[in-house]
Amino acid sequence: MAKDWTASVNRIFRTISGSKRVDKVPFLAFAGEQMICRITGKTVKELYSSPKVYANAIITTFEFLNTDSINVPSAYAGPSEALAFAEANNKLDAIKWFDYQPPMCKQGVICKSEEDIEKLEIPDHSKNNLWKTSLLAAKMINEKIKFPQVISLSIWSVVQELRGIEAYKDIRRNPDLLLKLCEKIFESQMDVYENWLEIVGMPPNVFIAGYAFNRHMMSFQDSMRYEGQFIKRMMNKIKVPFMLHNCGTSPYINEVFKEIDFIAINGSHPLDIEFWIDFKKKNPKIVIIGANIDVSREMLTGTPSDVEKKVKENILNLAPGGRYICCPVCSLPWGVSIPNILAIPKAIEKYGHYPIKIN
Amino acid sequence: MKEEESLEKLKNAILKGDPHKAIDLVNKSIKMGIQAKEILNRAILKGAEEAGNLYEEGEYFLPDLLMTGDAITAATESLKNSLNEKSETESKGTILIGTVEGDIHDIGKSLVVSLLKGQGFDVVDLGSDVPPEEFLRKAKEINPNLIGLSGLMTMSISKMVETVNLLKNENIKSRIIIGGGIMSKESCEMIGADDFAKDGWEGVKKINNLI
Repeated sequence: MAKDWTASVNRIFRTISGSKRVDKVPFLAFAGEQMICRITGKTVKELYSSPKVYANAIITTFEFLNTDSINVPSAYAGPSEALAFAEANNKLDAIKWFDYQPPMCKQGVICKSEEDIEKLEIPDHSKNNLWKTSLLAAKMINEKIKFPQVISLSIWSVVQELRGIEAYKDIRRNPDLLLKLCEKIFESQMDVYENWLEIVGMPPNVFIAGYAFNRHMMSFQDSMRYEGQFIKRMMNKIKVPFMLHNCGTSPYINEVFKEIDFIAINGSHPLDIEFWIDFKKKNPKIVIIGANIDVSREMLTGTPSDVEKKVKENILNLAPGGRYICCPVCSLPWGVSIPNILAIPKAIEKYGHYPIKIN
Repeated sequence: MKEEESLEKLKNAILKGDPHKAIDLVNKSIKMGIQAKEILNRAILKGAEEAGNLYEEGEYFLPDLLMTGDAITAATESLKNSLNEKSETESKGTILIGTVEGDIHDIGKSLVVSLLKGQGFDVVDLGSDVPPEEFLRKAKEINPNLIGLSGLMTMSISKMVETVNLLKNENIKSRIIIGGGIMSKESCEMIGADDFAKDGWEGVKKINNLI
């Protein structure tokens, strides 16, 4: 039977808006180029060879995984943005290509010196091949299955790619220089957004990849200085609701939500379900996308039955009242078994229909 | 300046991550006749330990640990150069480390390398995107006490499995630790490593326990 994307669109976006007219808990998964290559048998360069090939491969993959969400993995301001900076600054040697995973930037090569930051050119995304392909693929997905594509932006993940470990030393040693780099990345992110508007159209939401909001990385004050303040500025310019993907093992989730008006949280940690139960109690209007189905634990080493138990636990605790999207944390790794991924939509089918039956 | 005061100042320079001041104080301590072992243990390593405690208490963050790491490296190098007495600061062991193939992140690994070097380990850093065969080649060459595999991305787990299998099949007896925010007890068991660490400082502590 053909995938009913209209039902998925309704499920996802009604959940995000807090509507009560949701049939069951939606399933969202982060399937990157690795998973798309694995499902379709194509290499990354084949995927990127044309927007049509790429869009079709993405649709095939997400339909195979039976998700309610779909996105273009490279239309994300992380590795693709580093690649755009490398191209704009004649530093393509910093980019390493792989057959079955996205190209990556050698951390710290593009902005090795202070002079590199001072002279850093902002990419023109309308002229960058990967961004053009990614945005056109997003447009095609919009048109073909009528699934509005969500734009993903970030500051600190790009800082890490461009400046590497020196960025963390700059926090103490040269904060003004670091802010200058953040400012340039912000400008570049706004160029991504302008191109998105022109090619894909107005996004329903912005997904922020928040890499700085992690106590292992920096103080909360610094995370607001080098990422938070820029997100607030993005919010002033882009008038759609923002969602947060908070990467890292010790995130500042409660602190961030006091400072920034996100409508949804996708936290890769903590894995303690009690945290999320408490978060939902304190923030009943915030959508939880998660919460503790771990790609490095039950998804990787467990069985479909283990995954089902986790999904059940998540649904029974977080779905009542709505505003819950089931999602493993974080990106699906190459080695995770397909039956374990498919166990999620199967468990949702079993336990996730509204109204949720607790017993 | 008395011996105690000199060592305290050096420890504080380490804690504050000031490599220039640390070098200066190492030289002053040597001139005062303080033994290298005393300088290392009572000032440099004491500073490293206190920085680690502050990190665990949430007072210090990655930038502070990195700055401390730089100061430790500068101080220990200065100590070795000034004395030219390697026996007094002999190696605590040899560690082979790298980020696995397909992953080019190296922030956590670099922190571990910096702190381990400062603590007196000989560290061979293979860099990032290191194929399993390269880990094996170097392990055969240097026979390390411990091999550290680093990886940030979920996709690195499968490459760690491949690397550990190759090392074990080739009869490499070194202890193996894996590091990265995505690591768990379950993935550690699956990979077949001896231990795992979720961040750089935890890695340094666990490596000290494993050797």
